[in-house]
Amino acid sequence: MNGSRSRTPLLPLARALLSHYRRHPLQLLALAVMIVLATMLWTGVNHLTSQARASLNQSEQAVAERQQVLRDDGRDLVVDDFVSLRLAGVCVMPWLEVTPETGNRLVGVDPLAAHCFGAGTGASQVLDQPLDGKPFVDMHTAATIDALESRLYLLTPEITQAADLPDGYHLKTFSVSPDTGELGDSFLLNLEALGVLVLLITALLLRSVYLLGLAQRRDSFALLHRFGVPPGHVQSWLLLEILSLALVCVVPGVWLGRWLAAGLGGGFGQALDGLFDIPLYAGQGQGWITPVLVMLAVVLVACLGDLLLLRFRELFSLPVPARSGLATVLLVAGLAMAFLAPSLLWVFVAVALVFAGAGWLTPVAVAYVAHWRADRMAEPLTRWRYRELAVLARRLTLPLVALQFALAMVLAIQALVTTFEDTFDRWLGQRLEAAYYIEVPAGADGNKAAQSLTGQQESVPGLQWHRVKRGQAQLADVGNASGLQVDVFAVAPVGSLIRQWALLEAVDQPWKALASGQGVMVNEQLARRQKIEVGDSLLLTLGEQSGMLPVLGIYPDYGRPVGEVLLNSETLPDGFVIRFESFSVTPGELEIGSITGALKQLWGVEALAIRDNGTIRELATGVFDQTFALTRAMTLLTLILAASALLMMGWVFFSTRAWYFRLLEVWGMSQRQVAGQLLRLALLLTGGIAILALPLGVWLTWVLVHRINPLAFGWSLPMAVYPAFWLQLAVLSLAIGLSISVLMGRQLGKPAATPVSANAVVGGER
Amino acid sequence: MTESLLAVRGLSKQFVSGNETVPVIEKLSFTLDEGQSLALTGRSGSGKSTLLNLLCGLASPDAGTIVLQGLVFEAGSSGARQKAAAWASLRRQQIGVVFQEANLMPALSLLENVQFRAQLAGRDPSKSEDWLARLDIGELAGRYPDQVSGGQRQRAALAMVFAMEPALILADEPTGSLDRHTACEVAGVLFDLQARHGCGLILATHDAELAAACQHHLDLGHLSGL
Repeated sequence: MNGSRSRTPLLPLARALLSHYRRHPLQLLALAVMIVLATMLWTGVNHLTSQARASLNQSEQAVAERQQVLRDDGRDLVVDDFVSLRLAGVCVMPWLEVTPETGNRLVGVDPLAAHCFGAGTGASQVLDQPLDGKPFVDMHTAATIDALESRLYLLTPEITQAADLPDGYHLKTFSVSPDTGELGDSFLLNLEALGVLVLLITALLLRSVYLLGLAQRRDSFALLHRFGVPPGHVQSWLLLEILSLALVCVVPGVWLGRWLAAGLGGGFGQALDGLFDIPLYAGQGQGWITPVLVMLAVVLVACLGDLLLLRFRELFSLPVPARSGLATVLLVAGLAMAFLAPSLLWVFVAVALVFAGAGWLTPVAVAYVAHWRADRMAEPLTRWRYRELAVLARRLTLPLVALQFALAMVLAIQALVTTFEDTFDRWLGQRLEAAYYIEVPAGADGNKAAQSLTGQQESVPGLQWHRVKRGQAQLADVGNASGLQVDVFAVAPVGSLIRQWALLEAVDQPWKALASGQGVMVNEQLARRQKIEVGDSLLLTLGEQSGMLPVLGIYPDYGRPVGEVLLNSETLPDGFVIRFESFSVTPGELEIGSITGALKQLWGVEALAIRDNGTIRELATGVFDQTFALTRAMTLLTLILAASALLMMGWVFFSTRAWYFRLLEVWGMSQRQVAGQLLRLALLLTGGIAILALPLGVWLTWVLVHRINPLAFGWSLPMAVYPAFWLQLAVLSLAIGLSISVLMGRQLGKPAATPVSANAVVGGER
Repeated sequence: MTESLLAVRGLSKQFVSGNETVPVIEKLSFTLDEGQSLALTGRSGSGKSTLLNLLCGLASPDAGTIVLQGLVFEAGSSGARQKAAAWASLRRQQIGVVFQEANLMPALSLLENVQFRAQLAGRDPSKSEDWLARLDIGELAGRYPDQVSGGQRQRAALAMVFAMEPALILADEPTGSLDRHTACEVAGVLFDLQARHGCGLILATHDAELAAACQHHLDLGHLSGL
């Protein structure tokens, strides 16, 4: 017997296998669109976060442990200052921040001056790299850019002492932002988590569309097998086919994602700036290779995961009760872990477990409930409808679960964003309580200004103000944190401006007690980290004096990671070092110009640093609105994708059931009655999924608000639910069901083919 | 004079394929009395299935008249909604249709299928188990269609038809997908029950033996009239 093996001719095989897409071009198109959209969504989110992360790292590395030289008169630095300082022998490096009319902020540096910081330091490492615009450019280049805004800083190494400086200058710590601790990272982490969730949902959708096509091609594969084509050849072809399609679609998807990120990047950058004072510098984020490779891997795993995991097939083909048991274990473990998790990582693991459990259980639960209802129905059509529902739940598992996840995600994000908007309003109210904010220049006497404003307050209706002295104190004997350094905000008078702050917890009449110097208030961050409660006494060292001060209240800090103590400045001891001083003023019937004019005269300066809080509030509201709109747009886009996929899958799947709806007509039901049955079935399915998405969405909201936010940001948001939005999503789900039934209803008018698998003993139709 | 169960007069049907009009049935006339059986034969495409569709109102004739149980259905578009409703009522209660395959709802068990059909027809569903037993598949009542053989599925389909106590059974190659032995068994059951219950039977088939078992024979490949 001749045992020679012959090769399968590739062309006829390819032609036979591709004939499916010739017959169903829309399916190929749907698959391609799905890959493009999945890539676009994930790349968009990922590109934004990686760009922001790279920018953060670079800026942090570049400005680590640095100080800047400032003019005593508060004026902006110019080139002459650089020359004066260099002539005085002070080693300074110019740092020119430029915000171009389009694009993100750039930093112009002088590489020749980097030697000030010595070899091996953060700055020299950054500056040793080529200045390629990510975000550092040569000083000359930055100076020639048409900028909306530019500011020159002069940086000097830590060894420079105040005594080294010529007259008229002083030193100050340089930082592009306040010490944000892990805030920036956490914010980006949350965005990355959103990106992963988007990726998961789109991967599920991709898989569902692909498997549908595969199911329709199964007969062709069987035929080829009978014709002597080895299964390995078919599998290789499938791999080649999906790889080619992925390559063709992933590249434009990445391009679209980057375009999306670029379009939204402005808002995102402003949001980072507004939220955490983190500037988003110009940069390229990650390149093309990583997202292309990641998406290729995702497409391959989503579509051909079964082939790749052939060895583990037994695990995936567990009997339904065992699978349900495993899913329940995952769900319960995830719920418990989310409650007890000590760190963000474990919370994310818990979320993954809950989603895996819910994803596995949902179709089984729907099928179980449908069967349970069917068993109790005497009316034949209702019983049949519930039985059909059980079939649909099993056969449309992937798109249904994807829709459920998308709905849950949208619910959670919507609740989070809406809650955040409310909180943000309060945050603005706290930070920008007065109409104007005026910095007291270095060396100026704040007391004179305070006396002047006190004098005017009685005669000018509506004039409100307070003075804030900032410094630091040592907090002792609190838990294990002995000698903890905290920021001090000393306010006087404790007037109506500050009394508008919302307190998280407080004693009776807290502001009155603060005004009379009976104690202090602490920020949420300090209270949380040091487990301080209202009524506790703190041993504070202010200057050279120490004393026990009771905690009168805890105020929200909305993310500032540094511990703060708020007290009446009249109780400050003489030795307290004031590091910064400001006035918050609402001029009432007075023009702000007359107030600032008087202050300039009092302080003998030509210019004042004034912040118009009204304008900032307007700008900040706009920035946040844009950020929230971005988040909503991302989640809504995912939901639309999931809904479209279910619509398409539902339509295709229902068309395979067309024969059975036709049977109803044969058995004496009118077309209108059959269409009615179809409508009720579709609505039952999508409505059921919306109901099942609800607890998952509420739980995810709870995780974001009560677990992720406190662990990542150190502060909590109030948990709020929005039933009106639930209703909107329910209506949307029903609209999807309605669309499926309308599409399918059109098919009912056409002759239906006998199902291919009618004779097969495979259970595929049930 | 006894009125026929079914009378067909001058029935015509044609299909349009592209620019071409293809006549499938032309001026066909015949009658069928209660308890009688008629075999429809003819090559593929000769119009057997089309005729069955016309006889249960799933398709509309271009010309001619169908009289079923005293109800008169004239060709033409006038009163289309009333005609559709009348045909739907007949199919629900009086006309049992058996196809070559896929006669059962896959999500319902065999028993549930029979009960479903009986209830749709307004008959007592409690006899459904008896029907399955009479067709020798009583022990399979709880199984789903994909869990039984093709012959057992066709028996269940017959149980469904007889559970609705029809006046007329239209069977479109009911044994076409079965092996010879099973086909004989299923056909035997069909003729036996049809004779016992006295309903009319129109059977489209390629099987000469099956056709010979019917009292009347109409070869659509040749022509018309009984």
